[in-house]
Amino acid sequence: MSDLTVDTRDVEDIRLLYPRGFINAHTVRVFEHELQRTLQEGRFKVVVDCSGLAYIASAGLGAIMGSIEEIRGNGGDLRLAGLNETVRNIFEILGFNHLYRIFPSEAEAILSFRQGGGSTA
Amino acid sequence: MLQVPSETAYLAVVRDLTKKMAEAAGFDAPTALNVALAVDEAASNVIEHAYHGQPGKRFEVRIDDGTEEFRVEVVDAGDMVDPRALPRVDLERYASERRTGGLGVHLMGKIMDSVTFRRTARKNVCCLVKRKA
Repeated sequence: MSDLTVDTRDVEDIRLLYPRGFINAHTVRVFEHELQRTLQEGRFKVVVDCSGLAYIASAGLGAIMGSIEEIRGNGGDLRLAGLNETVRNIFEILGFNHLYRIFPSEAEAILSFRQGGGSTA
Repeated sequence: MLQVPSETAYLAVVRDLTKKMAEAAGFDAPTALNVALAVDEAASNVIEHAYHGQPGKRFEVRIDDGTEEFRVEVVDAGDMVDPRALPRVDLERYASERRTGGLGVHLMGKIMDSVTFRRTARKNVCCLVKRKA
């Protein structure tokens, strides 16, 4: 069994990413690949639904940070949804909750794009 | 003690073993997973920085479940890496400059009660300690 799979889905102009499993130094390329593909396709409104994510190491956090400037520079944003307690804790430890908007559910993250609003948390 | 090949594919083994040992030591599941994450970061640093991604090397993971603390040592025979040389974590700057180095060490320090590095007998020893409540 793979340690990480990343499914994707589009809702209008919003790209949804569904990482399932563990993101660490070994699996991060899979996640980075989907993020890069998203940007190459010109999709800059991104929701990462973390409800299937067991944990994320610094490599995964680095992948998010590595893409955010391009995303926001093109008028979009990367928003997070459905974090479990462990993943939320990691984001808070590193202060990511101040840099990224985090929503309880995917539906709320999608709604936030439809309602507009800034990119900062 | 676990001997681990210097390939990221084995990080899952390190993670699973550490988590199970931490749970057996009495930590709750979320805490045990955080400890496993800290050890994953330490092992990733060994593979990436001490061994520069070269396969065919090995490092050791030593776990000691003591009365008052849970201690994990990650030991490698690679190049000496001084974690103090890593940049201080500045998230705003990281976002604007796409810098991510140092995040792992920062994370380890936040999760564990103590993280120390020493060089002894031509080996790097990263010691991670989580105190029991």
